[in-house]
Formats: sequence, C-alpha cells, structure tokens
Amino acid sequence: MSSATLRALTSTHAACVWIPLFALRAEERRKPELNGKPTAVLSAEDSRRLWQVSPHARHVGVKPGMTVSQAIGLCPTLTLLEADPVHYDELFSRLLLKLGDVSPVVEPMELGRVYVGVDGLERLFGRPEQVLGVIDEVLGEAWMGDDERGGSERQGRQGGAQGRGTGAAGGSRGQRRRWGKGRKDGKTEGRKVGEAKSDNPRAKRTFRHSAIPSFRRGGSGVVWRMGWARGKFPSWVAATRAKPGNPVVVPNDQLAEFLKAQRIGALPLEPDTHQRLWQLGLRLLGDLAALPEQAVVSQFGREGLLAWRLAAGAIVEPVIGKETPLPILAPMDFPTPIVDQSIIANTIGKLIEQALRHPRRTGWRVRSVQVRATLEHGSSWMIDAVLKDPSASSAHIAAPLIVKLGQSPPTGGVQHLTVEFTAFVRGTKELQLFARDAAAAARTGQRRALRWAAREIKTRLKQSMLHHIIEVHPWSRIPERRYALIDFDL
Amino acid sequence: MVTNTRTPIRSHRLRPLNLPRSIGVELNEDDLPVTIAFAGKRRQVEEIGEIWRIDDEWWRDQIARRYVEVMLVGGGHVVVYEDLIGGGWFMQ
Repeated sequence: MSSATLRALTSTHAACVWIPLFALRAEERRKPELNGKPTAVLSAEDSRRLWQVSPHARHVGVKPGMTVSQAIGLCPTLTLLEADPVHYDELFSRLLLKLGDVSPVVEPMELGRVYVGVDGLERLFGRPEQVLGVIDEVLGEAWMGDDERGGSERQGRQGGAQGRGTGAAGGSRGQRRRWGKGRKDGKTEGRKVGEAKSDNPRAKRTFRHSAIPSFRRGGSGVVWRMGWARGKFPSWVAATRAKPGNPVVVPNDQLAEFLKAQRIGALPLEPDTHQRLWQLGLRLLGDLAALPEQAVVSQFGREGLLAWRLAAGAIVEPVIGKETPLPILAPMDFPTPIVDQSIIANTIGKLIEQALRHPRRTGWRVRSVQVRATLEHGSSWMIDAVLKDPSASSAHIAAPLIVKLGQSPPTGGVQHLTVEFTAFVRGTKELQLFARDAAAAARTGQRRALRWAAREIKTRLKQSMLHHIIEVHPWSRIPERRYALIDFDL
Repeated sequence: MVTNTRTPIRSHRLRPLNLPRSIGVELNEDDLPVTIAFAGKRRQVEEIGEIWRIDDEWWRDQIARRYVEVMLVGGGHVVVYEDLIGGGWFMQ
C-alpha cells in the first residue's frame, strides 16, 4: 500500500456547500411537478413517519417526525414520497465527483453538506467569489446530469483565469447564463461589506455578503447555499446565512466579528445542551465566547469546551480530504487454462471480494471495474462495467460483469485473470446507515462513543475514572491476584 | 473483559479486583458460619455449600485459608473464608 495514497489532504480555508432537505430536493429534481406543492419524504427506517418536509407543508404545520396520519390530517393535499437512499446516494456522489474537479480536498459531512478545501484555489480561479462561482457551476452540471460538458469548458476557463488574473471567473459566466439569472457583466450583485441586514441590534455585521452570477434556482427548484471562511465551522455558519446564489464570504480579519453575531443554534451540540444554553440566556455565539472558558467547561464538559472554542474562533478545523485511491488489483493465475464460464464467474466473484478487502478501499465505493484475462496462445480478453450506483457489495459489482461474461466470453482458456477497481466514489457518514456492514459501523460508533465519554469524564474530573479489567494471574488460586483494574487510556 | 492491548502494565495504577472484605461471623459447633454480618446487616445462613482450603506462598508470606460457600436466607450466595494464619473471617 502506498502511503501517498492515504495521505490526508488538508485546507484551512473552506467553502461549505449546503443543500438543505437534500432528499426532498433530489425528489423534486426528478419530479419537477412537485415544485411548489406540499411534499414530504418518508423515513427510510419507519415508513409511517415523515423524514423531510417541504416548506409548503411546514407552512401548514406539518413537521418531520410526524406520523403520516397526523400529517394528512393537517394537510390533505400532502404528497408523500418513499425514501430512495440509493438515488440520493448516487446524486450526492455525482456532486462530490464534480467538486473533486475543482479541488482535491473534498470532505462530505452528511447528505447534502460538503466542505471544499479552497487553499490555493485563488491563484487558479481568482477571488473567493470567483472560486465559489466555479463551484456553483460544477454543482449545476452535476445536478443537471451534464457530466460531459464541464471538463473541457472548465479547462478553458482555467486558462482564461490565469491569463486574466482577478477577472478569472468571467469566462464561465456565459455558460452560467444557460441556467438563468446570472448577471452577464460579471459584477457582484449582492450585499457589500457592512450592508448586511440584521434582526439583532447586537449583531454588528462587517462580513462580506457576495453574490455570484448564478442559477439560483434551477428549473427543478434546486437551491444550494455556500459559505466561505477560515475553518469548517465558520464556513458552515456562513452557508447557513447565505441565500441561493448569494454566498457569504467571511474574510479572516472579520471572522471573530462574524461569529459573535451568529445565533448559538449554529453550534454542533446535543439538543439538551442547546436547551441549557438557551435557559442560561445565551443567544449568540458572542454571548458564549464572552464567558470564561473554564466556566463553560465546568458546566458543559468537553462539549462546552469545543463550543466555546468554536464560538470564539479559537480553533480552526481544516477540511480533510482523501486522495482518490489508486486502482486496486486482484490477480489470479490458473495452473491449467480455464474454459468453464461458471469457474471464471466464480473466480471473478472471489477476486472482487479480495479487492474489496483492500485497506485502500475503506471509505470508498467502487464506481468502475475491469476484468482482464490472459488467454492461452498469448491473446487477451477484457470486460468492464461502470456502476450506476457505486457499491461496496461484491454481488452488486459482479452482476454486470457476469452478464458481460455471458455475452462475450473469452475465446480461449484463461491462464491469468485480474480484477481491477478503476474508479471510486466517496461514502458519507449518513449513507453508512444504508451500508451492508451496518453492524460494523455500529460497533465503530460504540467505540467512538466510549472514547468520547471517557474524554468527557477526564475533561471534567481531570483524571480518568474509567478502567479496564485486565488479567494479572488468572490461574492464581488466590482470587484477588487474578484480575485488576487499570486506567482506561484513550 | 477486553483483549490484552499489550500495553506495559504500570503497577502503581493497578487496582486488584475482588479484595477480601472483613466480616463478622457466628459459628456452630462444627466451626461453620451460622450468621454472617456485613454492610451493617446480619444475615442467617440457610445452607452450606462447598468447603475447600488453599495453602500458598509458603515461601514468603504464607497464605492459608478455609473457604466456605454459603447460601443465605432469603436468597444470596457468597463465598467467605477464614484466615488460618492471621485469624478473622472475610468475604470474597
């Protein structure tokens, strides 16, 4: 395994792309007639309850988590949609793939939320607004399924960007007009520094709202919001404050001021903690940051420490991307040439399983696979498949290959067979819920929860109060010599 | 039980499990417990189970114990022993 393939790519500056109600938007994308109607997507785990609810349905009181009967009672015209996780997965994967064309540092957080590392991109595309414009464009291409168009046009644009300096993104605008409302002159059309509206008098807005000429709402009613800042959390907060087509860019020197004015609800905390903060009268991140750090830690433990540091802008969480793995090969030599198709098919299945176990594959699903064979007398044979739904399931990957094997079998005995995974797409945390190895994910989650709890206790009490039971002399006839407790080290 | 992590054991952080706790015992004519007192409560013995003896570590501080398995009235199963060197009864 090459260490280079596993090296983490990082970026301190982040562009957060957020598509609220991703599942619902994905449904509206493929069923445009749903736009503007009260709709709800049912939970994948409990189809009697609602998962995501459109703003029109919310307007009449329908909320996520309600039962279907409650929702219909409130809104008889509600359109209910069954969740289609595979479709959402495929669509989100496509977005991630296209974002990978803009930056090698892409970190998906959940379905519909992804961070793009933008360090260094200004030299390629220009100012942050222009980088966001490029991101906006590739998102549009991916969302509309226009996979072929983007690459060559973007290359052309990049060339233009280098030549024109800060006017870089202008080259892309001609194409962006295709989607709708972008300005043709390339000027920003949003709020400038100090112009942001505020519903809170304590919020002194000096951060920059910028607009990119963009398709803010595509024909299918899709919206995405983008924020730019130093660190993932500020960029996420910026994205939540942005409007479709009007990203929020927070310059470094205005970051603290920007965070101060944001609502405390932006912090990634447990609902109970949010409630406690609310009961303490803390409404803005600035309120929390104004408290002594130790006081917050003593009240809220490790979670409070993180919250305080995020609110104060004291930590910068970098975007951490992963390099796309190199192709994974699983070869096999046959001592005697094989002609029997069933044996070849079986071997392909085994080699796929072997390749799936490769550590480099962890966290990635296979998008395309190739099978090559060296035949007796020196000729060769090859089949390949591009999976519409990238997968980590051997049966799923093998299925199209077996079909192709039946359609065009090798013309001679197979001496050497190789399965190669040639392209991958990322998995996301949320999508792991649907993964076949959900049990393994659950175990990992338990260990993570245990480590988290241990750190929490250590932070609060200054010492670990958790212990392992270890064997000392398990064979001893004296009971107290057999086992002992030792501190649980993180 | 967790698997051995092969982390070197730091003896100063080890806390032995199942240490003996001193108890009060009333004995019958056969030197077997009739009542035992622990945690501030006195409990009647309903039945005596197995009895065994260990003699160990004679090469340093000798250990000699007579273990008695006891069933308590109202439920409860405990193992107690008599320290045959230093005297006294303990629950373990």
